[in-house]
Amino acid sequence: MGELDAVIHQPVRLKIMAALKALPPNEQLEFVRLRKIADATEGNLGAHIQTLEQAGYVAVEKDFADNRPRTRVKLTKQGRRAFEDYVAYLRDIIAPGP
Amino acid sequence: MEPTVISPLKAADALKQAAAAEKRSAQAYRYQRFAPYLFLWGVIWVIGYGGSDLRPRIAGWLWLGLVVVALAASILIARAFADGRADARIRWRTAAFFVAVWAFFAATYAVMHPTTALQQGAFPPLVVAFAYAVLGLWTGPRLIIAGVALAALTLGGFFYLPQHFLLWEGFVGGGALILAGLWFRRV
Repeated sequence: MGELDAVIHQPVRLKIMAALKALPPNEQLEFVRLRKIADATEGNLGAHIQTLEQAGYVAVEKDFADNRPRTRVKLTKQGRRAFEDYVAYLRDIIAPGP
Repeated sequence: MEPTVISPLKAADALKQAAAAEKRSAQAYRYQRFAPYLFLWGVIWVIGYGGSDLRPRIAGWLWLGLVVVALAASILIARAFADGRADARIRWRTAAFFVAVWAFFAATYAVMHPTTALQQGAFPPLVVAFAYAVLGLWTGPRLIIAGVALAALTLGGFFYLPQHFLLWEGFVGGGALILAGLWFRRV
């Protein structure tokens, strides 16, 4: 049994990772949608995304769409693996394997 | 630094939160994918049914032109979602879908012989409504609501407003699809 991933183990970051994991690989989620799914304020979400980005779990892309600034976030390969490990770790706590 | 240890109860709670966020995100993603098609067909219906009511003589040609436009627009939408990947596959799959739908209605009309323009006009929306409702069982409740609303509006117009059914279907049915498309874009 490994260790608990402290980067993911925080309610907002957990929701961000789970929301991105639900998308097909390389698919991005807009900041605005992510904010609603994670039920977080703009500043709070931005700070947590930065933490995840620094850990290499998410990639952030900023551009313009319809003359408006747009921020999109996607899960990296490393992030996908880390989330899967995190979920496996939690499942192991609930029902330890042999 | 000591590793963080959590209880089975807290672990279960974290998994529950993750599952809820995953479900919401996946559902929003599917809705977002569906929205432009609803919007497109809403506009097609407004023009097609509205035009058929106002100019019944050219209704056949009007629908033919609209189907070609819908096919081209559907390919563009699919390409936009695919980020430019697998272009040929998208074109063939979309075209094959249109041919399958056309074949279905041609075969059904050949077998059932609808006798009035009213019956011909009411059948496609009812099939579409049924398809939405069934797809909604996997996609999410919004599609079920859209399907039920479309069926109800179609049947309402068919039975209570037969003299203006095509106009009704165009503006109320098509309008409902456009509104559903806008609704689907919201998380």
